Amino acid sequence: MAASLPRSTAAAATAATPDSESGPRLWDPVVRVSHWGIALVVLFNAVLDQGGGTLHVTLGWIGMALLALRFIWGFAGPAEARFTAFPPRPVAALAHLGALRRGALRRYRSHNPAGALMAYALWALLALIMATGLIMTGGRTPMRVAEENAAVAAGDWSVLVKTGKTGEDAGKGLKKAAGEVHEMAADLILILVLLHVAGVAVESRALGRNLLAPMLAGGRRQ
Amino acid sequence: MSGGDLRAARIRQTRALAGFLVVQTLAAVFFVGDVIGDLIADPGSVHFIFEALVTAALVLGVAFGAFALRRTIEMMRAQETALSVAQGELAQVIGEQFTDWRLTQAERDVGMLALKGLDVAEIAELRGAAQGTVRAQLTRIYAKAGVSGRAQFAAFFVEDLLGEGVRPATPVAPAAT
Repeated sequence: MAASLPRSTAAAATAATPDSESGPRLWDPVVRVSHWGIALVVLFNAVLDQGGGTLHVTLGWIGMALLALRFIWGFAGPAEARFTAFPPRPVAALAHLGALRRGALRRYRSHNPAGALMAYALWALLALIMATGLIMTGGRTPMRVAEENAAVAAGDWSVLVKTGKTGEDAGKGLKKAAGEVHEMAADLILILVLLHVAGVAVESRALGRNLLAPMLAGGRRQ
Repeated sequence: MSGGDLRAARIRQTRALAGFLVVQTLAAVFFVGDVIGDLIADPGSVHFIFEALVTAALVLGVAFGAFALRRTIEMMRAQETALSVAQGELAQVIGEQFTDWRLTQAERDVGMLALKGLDVAEIAELRGAAQGTVRAQLTRIYAKAGVSGRAQFAAFFVEDLLGEGVRPATPVAPAAT
């Protein structure tokens, strides 16, 4: 059966045609779902909803799950989704930007080096935002946050007293610092998102190929 | 064609697996958070132990789901590659055979279109030629190939493709030889 097709044949066939492609024709579903899911979470939590609310925390946890899934996929996924396909190489990224300016672009199987660096920067910021968010909420799950918010809304303030009991001053200082990092990182990620979108637009134009299509569910273009 | 159906089925399977994996990861992360909360609050309780077990199973499920999905995706790609390699090789075999038969360039084009199943009228329209011309070209092709007509002409290459592999999956009539 074709399932037992030797791996070398498939590898040779893909190696024979990389010059016509840059990145896959269509990213796999896990990459697409995690990409757009996280994009929505960032958009909502940075711009649309109120920080600290149940919705904000729930979305943050969903983003955390998607980030975790993408991390697992970076080791377990198909070749172009794996971290080994796009290692962080700052020098290569700069070289790529230079090539982009000269119009002498190389094509890559996965992200180009500049795009890869952007992906790692975004992921690192997301991890930082999520970690500081967890510190701010004391690591409580959205379910607990919802319960406590409901209790406070009903006039039962004792839940707030209970959480502030352990290591009062140190805890408060840490939470305050975490809150500041959380907000700064959120601002920074919005700037990076704009850069990322601009980068995709410029690269698409230089390659003469729509790089957005493979990330959308769009039909297969041969 | 059945190839398209198979592909569509594979794509559906990939999507279903991916959706399942996303939901499972969501559940796993929420449970892991809850378990860590319980661990801090009361690590000895039956509730915690039970929940930790369930969470471990969920996390394992995510890992296996990811590997299953990757296998499906790779299998799909391998099949596509095999198909395109086969298509490319068949085209090459046909081209070499045409050279062997010393077909002219016009005859090669007409022969290829005929193999693709186009009839005389369609070939004539595609090439902007008269139907009589196409018919004459086809006759010359068949003569050069030493075949009786279009059916045998097409069968020539199908037979090549099947090679020694002509064996009915289930024994049918003895006439199958």
